Amino acid sequence: APALVRAQESKSFNFKMTNAYPPGSPFYVQGPGSPTDFCNKVKAMSGGRLNISHFAAGELIPALEGFNAVAQGTVEMNAANAYFWAGNIPAAQFFTTVPFGMNTQGMMAWLYQGDGLKLWHELYEPHGLIAFPMGNTGVQMTGWFREPIESVKDLDGLKMRIPGLAGKVYSELGVSVRLLPGGEIFPALERGVIDAAEFVGPFQDRRLGLHNAAKYYYTTGWHEPTNVTELLINKEVWDSLPKDLQMMIQMAAQASVLESLSWSEANNADALKDLVENEGVIAQPLPEPIVSRLKEVTDDTLASMANADPQMKKVYDSYMTFKKKHASWAALSEKPLLNL
Amino acid sequence: MKSVVHRLEWLVESLGGLARLCILALVLLVATNVILRYLFSIGPVALQELEWHLVSPIALLGLSYSMKHRADVRIDFLYERFPARLCAASDLIAALLTVAVGAIIAWLSLAYVNQAYNLNEGSPDPGGLPMRYLLKAFIPLGFLLLVIQGIADSLRAIARIHDPATDLAPENKLSTETSA
Amino acid sequence: MIAHEWIVLGMIAGFLGLMLIGIPVAISLAVSGFVAGYLGFGTTLFSLMPARLYGVVTNYTLLAIPLFVFMGVMLEKSKVAENMLETIGKAMGGLNGGMGLAIILVGVLMGASTGIVGATVVTVGLLTLPALMRRGYSNSVSCGVICSSGTLGQIIPPSLVLILLSDIVGESVGALFAAAFIPGLVLALIYMAYLLVLGVIKPETVPAIPASERDDIDGTTLAKKLAADVFPPLMLVIAVLGSIVGGIAAPTEAASMGALGALIIALATRRLNWPLMKETLHGTLVITAMVFFILLCAQPFSLSFRGLGGEQMVHTLFEMLPGGEFGAILFLMALLFVLGFFLEWIEISYIALPMFLPVFMNYGTDMVWLAIMVAMNLQMSFLTPPFGWALFFLKGVAPPGITTKDIYLGAIPFVLLQALALVVLFQFPALVTWLPDTIGW
Ligand code: NA
Ligand code: NA
Repeated sequence: APALVRAQESKSFNFKMTNAYPPGSPFYVQGPGSPTDFCNKVKAMSGGRLNISHFAAGELIPALEGFNAVAQGTVEMNAANAYFWAGNIPAAQFFTTVPFGMNTQGMMAWLYQGDGLKLWHELYEPHGLIAFPMGNTGVQMTGWFREPIESVKDLDGLKMRIPGLAGKVYSELGVSVRLLPGGEIFPALERGVIDAAEFVGPFQDRRLGLHNAAKYYYTTGWHEPTNVTELLINKEVWDSLPKDLQMMIQMAAQASVLESLSWSEANNADALKDLVENEGVIAQPLPEPIVSRLKEVTDDTLASMANADPQMKKVYDSYMTFKKKHASWAALSEKPLLNL
Repeated sequence: MKSVVHRLEWLVESLGGLARLCILALVLLVATNVILRYLFSIGPVALQELEWHLVSPIALLGLSYSMKHRADVRIDFLYERFPARLCAASDLIAALLTVAVGAIIAWLSLAYVNQAYNLNEGSPDPGGLPMRYLLKAFIPLGFLLLVIQGIADSLRAIARIHDPATDLAPENKLSTETSA
Repeated sequence: MIAHEWIVLGMIAGFLGLMLIGIPVAISLAVSGFVAGYLGFGTTLFSLMPARLYGVVTNYTLLAIPLFVFMGVMLEKSKVAENMLETIGKAMGGLNGGMGLAIILVGVLMGASTGIVGATVVTVGLLTLPALMRRGYSNSVSCGVICSSGTLGQIIPPSLVLILLSDIVGESVGALFAAAFIPGLVLALIYMAYLLVLGVIKPETVPAIPASERDDIDGTTLAKKLAADVFPPLMLVIAVLGSIVGGIAAPTEAASMGALGALIIALATRRLNWPLMKETLHGTLVITAMVFFILLCAQPFSLSFRGLGGEQMVHTLFEMLPGGEFGAILFLMALLFVLGFFLEWIEISYIALPMFLPVFMNYGTDMVWLAIMVAMNLQMSFLTPPFGWALFFLKGVAPPGITTKDIYLGAIPFVLLQALALVVLFQFPALVTWLPDTIGW
């Protein structure tokens, strides 16, 4: 028996990981806690027994084909955000972020200590998939506006680049939603083809030059109070791995969450300071009446989506219950402290 | 043989007609979307997605169509110096390889379309278009048409190897003078 | 088992061999890619194929291809280009080399509204070659002017080359359009200067239009006609570039304004009818599908190339090169130029270029500048004998008196002028970067 164990331990694995983000993207592809960093960590921890080759979007398959490719087993792993799969599994978006949902601390608590991760695995099981958090950008910004937004009325007729669920909420308030690939956001915003654009946060947005196209930077992260990077793994492949390698993957993924989050927090702080002090950016939260109106619409939208889809309802209920519990704790612990 | 060739190419031509209409629809749709947004701030997500959904039939149904109208790019440096039978032989090889490529890709993409069908994959954006498997189904369809065109071209080449004077010219209703 | 390096080399050799015996380029690509991939990995690699094909036909940026092609074909079929050329030619008539200058100007104007080579070379060739020969222009100068003018539209924005390059280097279409603007004009000016010099030192090759012919038409009539014929193409330039600058359309969408504009011009000049529409749609489909055919069939080739470690081979090659970034750029330019002898620009862009990009990213090379250098180089490949596309097109429409030798000889000075333009851009990168930097793109 000991010989047999050793044989299995020394068996090595060569996997492919695809990514929904293009080559060179900081955070999403390279940098501390990024998917390429994760691959290096796993290789080092396993002494080369688990070798994951990383391919950015377009290198092996197009950006959003990772779900299908991992499910079919053509690649073993994929790095992305779960809300990209909302067209396949509507409930998946809860595992990236929820508008007016929990912040990063709450989200992590729900995923790791609440039912979050369990529900995520349950949801993906029928597709032959398993997923883990592998990174976090922290809170994202409302976005860049060419003109100040002072009342709900100002949203009516506004042309904005904003994908996903938040786009639906905005459109209820009269915003005209424009879907644009990353490369066209800048010229469109600069020339006024669109009046506003959401992207990520100060560090990533500055890299795209968005501050040269619009000066009003609204900072209320209502639509993405946190943002979880998803490590997607083919379930059959996962089950075939020895326990120690499984554990290394999980630990490397958790380390990546911490590292990428702290990297984002540090870089965003520097970038926002630079934008405000050197680039004439006016950074401010959205006016309160707008935020409350957005919240009303979001609450209705989420509730009606949950009622239409039993899978979503189950995740929604768990998420909302946890959020309520976490919020009352945070209201007494964190909140008073933040105002100091 | 001539009637077989023409019947096969009738299929290519008919679906090419559909692709031609998609081009007109694309021109009008993108222009309309731009104007609606600029003048009235209207921009339904479904109409924006329809823009790139229309490219798929144009590109894929157009493959066999461009081959039928001999707009496939080839280097005729040596070819134009070949004697007639050798030209026909080169055409036959090209046509048979076309059949092979078309068949492999059509076969490879069936599982892919099937997966999208089983998932009932749709747009991740609220208000986007559903039923992505229809969009994906143009891949096997387009390459299957390429197989059909390849068979027609093979028959044509075989006839010319047999007797170089045979000319099973395609039934072209339109001129082909515009080639890239 | 055969070493992967040998399979890569075999794949490239197989591709070239198939092309040489007359197999269509797209099929040659797919066949060599499939065979090499199978030898290296069996069937496992190809399960990724459908997703890649889907990525090609749903690529938002490539939406501009059918739109721009539609505009170009519509302009050709509705004879807008033909009228413009005739009038500008008459206006320039008194000068040695005047007709040549007119042809370059028309190339700039047509180039600023559309971006496909074939239509311009064929139209300009059909219309002017007999007239130039009648007026005593030397055969080779005539052919050179027509081919180079017809290819100007590739570097002057908007252009298909720039749209594909923006997708490859990951920069915005708008930035590349802005960056190409000045280089395109510089190239046109170099051409014009050459013709003027030729008019002085070798006037017999580029004679002025005889006074008798010019007297047929008086100044006022000419001015009116000039306004009437140059107006529609100018409107298209404004529709496309104006809608981007004016904030009406994003760069990819702007192509639709040009397509719509061409439709309106045909309508306004009462040439629009169903047969014309049907021919335009036919021409558009054939050209668009031809481009996509190559893009789709390049997928098995590039997938196998990547899977077999072809990229690593290229990197190793680059590491062996002396001279760092400068050496790498020089090598890339020389390689693209040589590839341009026998490969089409779409294959060069989609197969050769992505292999080199990581190398330049490591050097921190300005990607916009690099893309314009590549575009200028590809532009040169359209004119380079023996396989320049523009030369083929012209041969297709040339009257019997014109030999392949005339065309090749005529192209050579213009290829050299393009090389000069390339050196200028290399020495003065600001010509490329100034406009996008100034407008913040
Ligand atoms: Na975001
Ligand atoms: Na152009």
